[in-house]
Amino acid sequence: MAKCDFCDNPATVHMTEIKGGEKTQMHLCEFCAKQMHPGDGGSGGVQKVLEGLDPKSLGGPPLAVRLTCPQCGMTYAEFKQHGRFGCANDYEVFGAELKPLFKRIHGSTRYCGKTPDGGAVDNEEIEQAVRAVRAKLDQAIREERYEDAARMRDEIRVLEAGEAQADVADNPDRDEGDPADHPAEGEA
Amino acid sequence: MSDAPLFEPRPPDLPGLWIKDSGPENDVVVSSRMRLARNLRGYHFKPRQEEDEGKRLTEHLHGVLSGLDHDLRWFDMEELSPTLRLVLFERHLVSREHVDDERPRGLAYTTDGTVGVMVNEEDHLRFQVFAPGLNLEAISERIEALDNEVASRVEYSFSEQYGYLTSCPTNTGTGLRVSVMLHLPALAYRTSTSNDDEPGIVKVNNAAQQLGLTVRGIHGESSKAEGDFFQISNQVTLGRSPDQAVGDLRDMLGQVIEWERQVRQILLEDDRLSVEDLVLRSWAVLRHARRIASEEALQLLSSVRLGACLGLIDGVGVTTIHDLMVSMLPGHLQFRDRAKLSPDERDAMRATLIRNALAHSGPTS
Ligand SMILES: [Zn+2]
Ligand SMILES: [Zn+2]
Repeated sequence: MAKCDFCDNPATVHMTEIKGGEKTQMHLCEFCAKQMHPGDGGSGGVQKVLEGLDPKSLGGPPLAVRLTCPQCGMTYAEFKQHGRFGCANDYEVFGAELKPLFKRIHGSTRYCGKTPDGGAVDNEEIEQAVRAVRAKLDQAIREERYEDAARMRDEIRVLEAGEAQADVADNPDRDEGDPADHPAEGEA
Repeated sequence: MSDAPLFEPRPPDLPGLWIKDSGPENDVVVSSRMRLARNLRGYHFKPRQEEDEGKRLTEHLHGVLSGLDHDLRWFDMEELSPTLRLVLFERHLVSREHVDDERPRGLAYTTDGTVGVMVNEEDHLRFQVFAPGLNLEAISERIEALDNEVASRVEYSFSEQYGYLTSCPTNTGTGLRVSVMLHLPALAYRTSTSNDDEPGIVKVNNAAQQLGLTVRGIHGESSKAEGDFFQISNQVTLGRSPDQAVGDLRDMLGQVIEWERQVRQILLEDDRLSVEDLVLRSWAVLRHARRIASEEALQLLSSVRLGACLGLIDGVGVTTIHDLMVSMLPGHLQFRDRAKLSPDERDAMRATLIRNALAHSGPTS
């Protein structure tokens, strides 16, 4: 499922706005969609067309609730209830669902510090850049400048994609196997 | 708890009581503490661990820790008597959960008691380093060295996105908790300006929150600060490096320490008689009581500590108070007496312990 333009939740609301003959498409999660229509007093000359809710969001629990880690059996629902992961693989399985959580707890979704092999991860610059654009984006949404908002959204994507590629390059063998297959080795 | 005998047949050597040593900024800062949470790749986190897996993990880490240069002594938690576990809890070397849990788990500590490692607590590894007074650089270096040494012998669960992967999302990232215990009787009492009815500690609290730091009472989670002892620690482990977290804390502490000192002096100048009355009444009770509960003792020791710092009492230093704050706790009293004591008996023993410690102290003439 496509992701929301503004966060990592699944996009369930699709809208097209037409301004000055220009057409811009937006794909939003329900939360962000609501933020775009605060009370909706019909202000401003922006025409919003709701293309319809994603059918998947209408029946059954949202996707996140159905996520289950194949390695330890932890479900997202159980994690939400008890607040503890069952294994390191849960971080991958629950994926994007975790970002809002980490944002709330730590105000960030990116590690900053050393690596176990003596290197360093410094996501601080990207983090700051994303934060700055996101602030402008919020402003643009509040002022209903959706074309600007869409541009900033793309800007954030580029920033985050750059980082994601770096992750893969730095980390070729970080995919998880069965925990039982990797008894950690000790030399002592 | 298991049905192990209440005491070891032969009393083991306790780790050193480092808190009775003096440290930097000791008039305001009691102690500094750091911990790192780490997990090993290839093992489930605690909530999804089978008994068998827990055993394998604990044995594996026993081997790893024994091979280090840190002179760590190893203990299987199950083999320790309930009394000794309580003593170690009162020294912050184990958590309440680590005492009571029934699954395979271990503890390693250095003989001086300043370094401890909980094995298979909420995370596979919880390193801890302590120091008296304000000493963040020293403990930071020590804990990093320990962590790096272990990292060269095991494979940690780690991702570039989230850093060190922990069982609880509040520790994800650096897994670092750095905390400092402060004695803030003046700030808990008032601010520097008498027309301000909010005590200074409220402002400390607000400032801390803005920096991603948190202020708690002496016993951790509770917001009630018994004896005006407060712990300030970092909360954010993602997006801030350990150096940044330590830096944030140090910046804030510098100001809080100075502020507390100023307000102590102002209190003394504005209302010397009230301060003396509080300090000496507290001292008199501790000096003569035949029975005392730990909450009351802590409150009174707090006032005596303030008096010692302000030069109102002679013959007792802050380190004696710090020693008493630990030695007067139930586990320590019972371990010392090698008997299970009723609360009344403990109160009597506590009173004796404190009386003796204050025997050569008195009002400054
Ligand atoms: Zn969204
Ligand atoms: Zn899992």
